[in-house]
Amino acid sequence: MAFAIEFFLRRIGQGLVIVLLVAFVIFTLLRIVPGDPIRIILGPMTPASVLEETARNLGLRDPILVQFGRFVTQVASGDLGRSFIRGVQGGSTGGSQDSAGFDPESRASVAELIGTALPYSLQLAALGIVFTLLVSVPLGLAAGLRSGRWPDRLGLYVSSFLVSLPNIWVGVVLIFLLSAKTGLLPAIGYKGFAYTIIPAMVLAIELSPVLIRAISVSVAANLGETYFDVGLVRGLSRRAMIARHVLRNAAVPLFNLFGAQMIGMLLGGLFVVEYIFSYPGLGMLTINAVFQRDFPIIQAVAILASGVLVAINMLVDFASTTIDRRLKF
Amino acid sequence: MSNIITLPAGTSAEPLMAVRGLSVAITGTTGERQLLSDIDLTVNARSVLGIIGESGSGKTILSRALVNWVRQPLKVTSGTVRYGGLDLLTLPEAEMARLRGREIAYIGANPTSALDPTVPVGHQILEKLRTVSPQLSREAAHKRVIDTLDAVRIPSPAQRFDEYPFQFSGGMMQRALIVDALVSNPKLLIADNITQPLDVTVAAQILRLLRDLQKDFDTAVVFISSSLGIVSEIADDLIVLDRGRIVEHSPVSDLLHKPQHAYSRELIAKVPKLWSLGGTIPQPSSGEVVLDVRDVEKTYEVRDRKAIFAHRKVKAVRGVSFTVRRGENFGIIGESGCGKSTLSRLLSCLEAPNSGQILFEGQDIASLRGADLLALRRRFQLLLQDPYNAIAAHCSIGRTIAEPLLIHGLGNRNEIETKVKAVMTEVGLPETLYDQLPVGLSAGQRQRVNIARALVLEPELLILDETLSALDQVEQAKLLDLFETLQARRGITYVYISHDLAMVRRVCARIAVMYLGRIVELADNETMFERSAHPYTRALLSAVPTVEHKPYRMETYLLEGEPPDPIDIPPGCSFRTRCPFAFDRCAIDDPVRGADIGVNTSACHLRADSLPPADAASPSNGAPA
Repeated sequence: MAFAIEFFLRRIGQGLVIVLLVAFVIFTLLRIVPGDPIRIILGPMTPASVLEETARNLGLRDPILVQFGRFVTQVASGDLGRSFIRGVQGGSTGGSQDSAGFDPESRASVAELIGTALPYSLQLAALGIVFTLLVSVPLGLAAGLRSGRWPDRLGLYVSSFLVSLPNIWVGVVLIFLLSAKTGLLPAIGYKGFAYTIIPAMVLAIELSPVLIRAISVSVAANLGETYFDVGLVRGLSRRAMIARHVLRNAAVPLFNLFGAQMIGMLLGGLFVVEYIFSYPGLGMLTINAVFQRDFPIIQAVAILASGVLVAINMLVDFASTTIDRRLKF
Repeated sequence: MSNIITLPAGTSAEPLMAVRGLSVAITGTTGERQLLSDIDLTVNARSVLGIIGESGSGKTILSRALVNWVRQPLKVTSGTVRYGGLDLLTLPEAEMARLRGREIAYIGANPTSALDPTVPVGHQILEKLRTVSPQLSREAAHKRVIDTLDAVRIPSPAQRFDEYPFQFSGGMMQRALIVDALVSNPKLLIADNITQPLDVTVAAQILRLLRDLQKDFDTAVVFISSSLGIVSEIADDLIVLDRGRIVEHSPVSDLLHKPQHAYSRELIAKVPKLWSLGGTIPQPSSGEVVLDVRDVEKTYEVRDRKAIFAHRKVKAVRGVSFTVRRGENFGIIGESGCGKSTLSRLLSCLEAPNSGQILFEGQDIASLRGADLLALRRRFQLLLQDPYNAIAAHCSIGRTIAEPLLIHGLGNRNEIETKVKAVMTEVGLPETLYDQLPVGLSAGQRQRVNIARALVLEPELLILDETLSALDQVEQAKLLDLFETLQARRGITYVYISHDLAMVRRVCARIAVMYLGRIVELADNETMFERSAHPYTRALLSAVPTVEHKPYRMETYLLEGEPPDPIDIPPGCSFRTRCPFAFDRCAIDDPVRGADIGVNTSACHLRADSLPPADAASPSNGAPA
């Protein structure tokens, strides 16, 4: 119990520092790359004096550290700010409707925008993971338990094949085959759960090869450990050794792979997949925000993403140290 | 277990297991090679059969064949292993599985990797017992495991039940595996080299334990070992195995005193000798002091899982002082966990001590930084145990040996090449190896590369941390001769850090014995081995597996128990928990060793003359002819 408390206190502390650093880097980069958001907010026809005044009102002409300090205080009080571009109704405004001046109150709150988009992304990610597990666990286990024989080779071929498919291309092909050609599933936009299936398949195709290989390597390595053979000689059955010991030991590297690599791949995959399918999730929101230099949204999503990564890694490491007590924390 | 014929108890006429004409071969790319040929042996109920052979003689393969554990690329080519009317080798896997762990138990040489590292030890033994005897209730099984843990003298068994394999020492783990084997009351126990990874005192304890348990549990034991000293302690009959063949089979005392076969005589001659040695004993040097270690301490911190933000202090080295004189061989001995490796890291300046000083020719090495430290490093070198990982596989041998010269910027290309080749010749490596990669070098040759790499800097002090432990005895003897020649030629000083008492006896003039991070006794060679003043030294010497007469008897000096945890060192003398002579004062007052240079000292409240006298029998009647 003491271990769990110390573990979480320590890791939450470290996690906050990481999130803060990520936020600072994103914040600074956004402000030093070319592209002035004011021009996009107010439109190309706005006089220079109005541009300058709006920029100063929004605080965009202050030193970056001052801006960042203000931003952090604001986030700490629970306010993620308001979008530069999107109206309260959610649509992108842009253009010249604000040429007379900019009223932040007419813009949508970032928290609400994220709150609307997040459930869609979570649903897509969850279904993607379910598909990945459905493919990888049986294939990976079969390959690992029969190392060097046909299931092993099947696992290798399937994962080599899947890993060489670019997800943009897979997305387009699946839309063509399952939606345009046969009409089995809907593809573009979102009007119900069925719209999640094809995008989730694309995610699964990206994630599966890594997991298939990792499961088979990890299981095969544990079958080669001394404790497995000794277990059989001690009088335990092969089935019991696999169910109670091999799978347990094999899980530790898999947890780490999941936390360190797969969550990153999943986040990246969401952006691409949502964009291809016009899926109204967090990825879509962010990509549009990047095109429109909508700083508040980009910053909030970056913080959210790094927070999710830190939190999942914390849970994964906790699970690993609980299974294998030798691990340092 | 319906179709398995079990022998009624008491029928000793019928052997428990009979092996006839067993041959095992390995199939590789070069065809079949025989590893075991035509093995015949018989195991009687309630007896102990010893099998002795050197590494590569096929001992382990034989022990595994007895439980039908022969896997690709090994193959049984002929013969039978009969047990209770069945031939185990032709038994279907399912029926064999019903015998394993129930009637026939097996314990291997590597206790620390024998169990799942992520599940508590007791739970795994319970799992086995419940598989083997499903009729037992959970509570009854649990109680039986704890009782058996208690029977092998594992302290606080109920608590140990929930601890993980990595929390067990090698000796405790081997005890746990003995529990695992015996908890189902098997008729036959096959013990393959079970004492090999253990320290001598622990190995002796395990042996004593197994002998007692074998009587209590009425189990027949096949005890396989590569140490004649160990196997002769426990076995009734001995089988000598040489290159896959049985060359001799006789009762233990006959084999020791009247060996029939030339190979058996060779084996007996190879058993390390400590007392019937002959030759001269190395004498202390009177040269100037090269290394002066003063009250050095090193503590490591580990996180505590049971408290928030707390650390536990592992006291690895606790106030060590000694001096080494020029041209002297100084030995540091002790068992695993006594702090000798930490000490070697401190001496070679890989880590700094928390307190105390290490003076090399009067200069404190802990205070040196940068260029001064680099200059000093030239003058003392560290040689480690593992000759494989110490050499970069992708570097030519010449380049490997030249590396230190390049680091220190000594000489141009030609000079370096000449120097490297000269050193290679000196350590006995042919010059033709200069441009070759280390692939295919033997362990001995690799160790020579390491020695050459150290010598090329012309050091004054060599720290040998178990340098020769991984080598066989022939190679070890050759390298010891090499060290001696180098010492005569270059006046090098050696610090041998080792657990090999026979080697230390042969080469070291002064010897320090470490226990739990302290030097408990420091004396010259003769005093240490003939008239040791510390009970721990005596216990250590009594447990050495030799076949000669020993001045110290195990019954007198060796108690049960293992060294205390270096995290919770009890107050008072740290050896008192295992000391047969401990009295009231030892629990309160920690004895200190006098720091006088050149005098034999021991950290014990008892004076040497109040310990039992050493058995000073004449050396000749101990050594078998």
